[in-house]
Amino acid sequence: MLIDPRTGSSPAVRFDHHPAVRGEIYRLNDRSYRESVIEETVLRTLGDFSSADPRLLIEETLYQERIRIRKARSGWFASPYLARRNSQDRAFVGEIQRQMKRSVGLEENRGLIREFAGHFADEICGNFEPGMYDFAIRMVPWMFSWLLNAASLKRVLPFGMSESLQSRLRVVGEVEHLQRLSKKGTILLVPTHLSNIDSLLVGYVIHLMSLPPFAYGAGLNLFSNPLLSFSMSRLGAYTVDRQKSSQLYKSSLKNYSTSILKRGVHSIFFPAGGRVRSGAIESHLKLGLLGTALQAQLERYQEGHANPNIYVVPMVMSYPFVFEASSLIEDYLEAAGKHRFVANDGGENILFLNFLKFFWKMFSTRSEMWVRVGRPLDVFGNFVDEEGRSIGPNGTSIDPRRFFMTEGAVKAVPARDREYTALLGQKISERYHSENVVLSSHLVAYSMFSALQKQYPGLDLYRFLRLSPSQRTIPEERFYEEASLCFSRVKEASDQGRLHLSTALQCGDVRIWVEDGVSQLGLFHDAKVVRSDQGVFSTEDMNLLYYYRNRLTGYGFNCGFSGETDEKGFLV
Amino acid sequence: MKKAFWSDARVAVLGGGSFGTVLANLAARNCAEVTIYVRAEDQARAMNSTRMNPNYVKDLVLDSKIRAVSTYEKVFERELNLLVFALPSHATREQARIIAPFFRGDEMVLHATKGIEESTLKRISQVLSEEIPILRIGAISGPNLASEIARGEPAATVIASPFVDVLAAGEAVFSNPKFRVYTTRDLAGTEWGGTLKNIFAIASGMLESRGMGWNTKSLLLSRGLAEMVRFGRAMGASAETFLGLSGMGDLIATCSSNQSRNFRVGYHLAKGETLEEVLSELGQVAEGVRTARIVYEFSRSRGVEMPITESVYRIIQGEWSVDQGLEHLMTRPQVDDEWVN
Repeated sequence: MLIDPRTGSSPAVRFDHHPAVRGEIYRLNDRSYRESVIEETVLRTLGDFSSADPRLLIEETLYQERIRIRKARSGWFASPYLARRNSQDRAFVGEIQRQMKRSVGLEENRGLIREFAGHFADEICGNFEPGMYDFAIRMVPWMFSWLLNAASLKRVLPFGMSESLQSRLRVVGEVEHLQRLSKKGTILLVPTHLSNIDSLLVGYVIHLMSLPPFAYGAGLNLFSNPLLSFSMSRLGAYTVDRQKSSQLYKSSLKNYSTSILKRGVHSIFFPAGGRVRSGAIESHLKLGLLGTALQAQLERYQEGHANPNIYVVPMVMSYPFVFEASSLIEDYLEAAGKHRFVANDGGENILFLNFLKFFWKMFSTRSEMWVRVGRPLDVFGNFVDEEGRSIGPNGTSIDPRRFFMTEGAVKAVPARDREYTALLGQKISERYHSENVVLSSHLVAYSMFSALQKQYPGLDLYRFLRLSPSQRTIPEERFYEEASLCFSRVKEASDQGRLHLSTALQCGDVRIWVEDGVSQLGLFHDAKVVRSDQGVFSTEDMNLLYYYRNRLTGYGFNCGFSGETDEKGFLV
Repeated sequence: MKKAFWSDARVAVLGGGSFGTVLANLAARNCAEVTIYVRAEDQARAMNSTRMNPNYVKDLVLDSKIRAVSTYEKVFERELNLLVFALPSHATREQARIIAPFFRGDEMVLHATKGIEESTLKRISQVLSEEIPILRIGAISGPNLASEIARGEPAATVIASPFVDVLAAGEAVFSNPKFRVYTTRDLAGTEWGGTLKNIFAIASGMLESRGMGWNTKSLLLSRGLAEMVRFGRAMGASAETFLGLSGMGDLIATCSSNQSRNFRVGYHLAKGETLEEVLSELGQVAEGVRTARIVYEFSRSRGVEMPITESVYRIIQGEWSVDQGLEHLMTRPQVDDEWVN
């Protein structure tokens, strides 16, 4: 594919021209269509639990719901949206409970399960308002370019010159391939997830690629922001409430996803199930929702479609800074290290102001965001060619239908399908690593961390992270030596196709990319993640350094801390 | 349903060595058609006319459903349901690459190779999945001395795969009242068990050659198992698998039988012959020699302690004598007798 060397972007990404492309998702705006999706979701969920004891199931679900509602934040800090949602849930649960007292028969209990499943499905199911979408896609680019030009150096540029978004947002990779496949089958886009920015950015990038809008599962916490909530619920987002832990809810969520994928609605999942706490590239994916792609394809084969292909497309975003980094890495260290780590208190608010602040920082400096569209896969993790055919090892062609055949017939074998999904998860994670664009800032963090590690061998991670400020310094010469070493490893990996390098890194001159990386790394934070001052490199925040450094783990560049492996939750 | 499907099924075995031939015979009892692939055309012709494969298994009469062929076109002539790789580890990737275009997608694949790919440290199932367009892959492993199975003595094997349909296929195709099939989903543990035990078979041959008794051999077996578990865990296998047929079971069989090739390598090495002499005398592949070196190197880099493996490796290399190896093992610092320590 042709890539514009100036921007690194494929010409298939249009920053100026936005033809409206209609997709299957537009039909979600139709009331009866939406109801039929909900109905199908409910029927599937009832099918999943057909052999369960209905009374036990209701009691279990009621119990979990009551606990959740009790724990839910209320009072001053709760957002009005969540509070309203909670009070609706409370009323519903109360009603079911009253009916439980009355009814004793099997049929009545089944009816109650149906009501429960219906309640969940209705909550999950998003709707799509074309008017809102059209408004948003006009509004967002305008907002971006306003921000960009207000924040950037335009003030010092000669009259008439303005910066364009495409010099800052680089959309690269298999864009045309994805565009073509979106007309041949159903796309399931699986981006990496670092930041709350991602939801917004992915939506925008999809639009830039002239693709129809996608349905996507958005965490309930995103809906707590009134502005976001208003737009998201109208842009094809469906609701995912991670607090709801009952089997009935989880099953409803999966069934909703299967129902829309089967209808050909392009969808997005963040397969890690949330933002990555450690800052690394996802290696453990949640398979539940991912399995719905396989399920939808299988069912369409069973219904007699010859080529009902669902394509899984990985997408990797690279940012020089992540505004939630501090709280994410603290979460991670707390969970991985148990008692060995004491977190600072402090929550995180999703404020619209943060979004603005993020883009302001982005545009007021020379920072770049990279979005790389990965090679499309089929639901088994095989590569897919331009025509949508699955390609196996050694260029063999694959009929995916055959993979569903057990003992001579296409059929569902749940244990087999779970295993296929696990393999798909592994494959996606491998692809994330290979599609990753390494930024100079990542490599600066990695080099700094690595140099410090060599200076203090034998410390465990938690002692290491508590090094005093005076201990966290590296002489310039030593730093450049380590940076060159790290660069040579990354370069070798890039030559082998195991990752990609950003433009700054492609130049290869250590002084240049280090300067570039230091200036961009973690710009958003109050503390300087890596500072270069009078011949000495130092860091003001070890946790943040660890966070940004983790981005380059999983490639086997380093042996990490002694005795630590990935399985234990540490990063190598 | 399962039995009915598999009794009409077609199976192919790639590799006409001793175990391949025995597996073909087992499959022929339960399935409609079995093809066995051998490289040399005359061997195929001889097998078809004499119904024997005397170079590898003496006295085994081939089942009438078995057809020996020497081209892959003939193997894949009609739709296959199960394909069994019974090739030496170093040939697997190359052969897999050649046959990749023949697959349709619903075949199950098993391999019976107890070894790993030397240059990459990849298990055979990983090599296969990189080369053929099939995901449903498994391994067949366990204490399976071909000649004993050929005589119809009661024996058992392990089929390992994360895929239930591969397990079901293996069970349906190979089991009979004299041959029991156990299944496990720990493919990594099963493959590493079958690979690692070859190192200890060499050590066992050395002890035998020195006329040592059961105390010493038991010491070797139990501490050898501990090394297998430690290494296996580092490679993502679960410890329990090594206590089963494909770990402990295979270890005992290979270390006690003088039929084992690896055992014979150790036996002759301890008599003072060089590795080259031993291997040329043997004329067959002894996987343990290669395995010892790769495993030793990898265990060093990962910090997995494997003293027996180290001794075997150094003796094979000619760096140590058998006595030096034994002394190294017997004078190590004291450790607790826990099998993972």
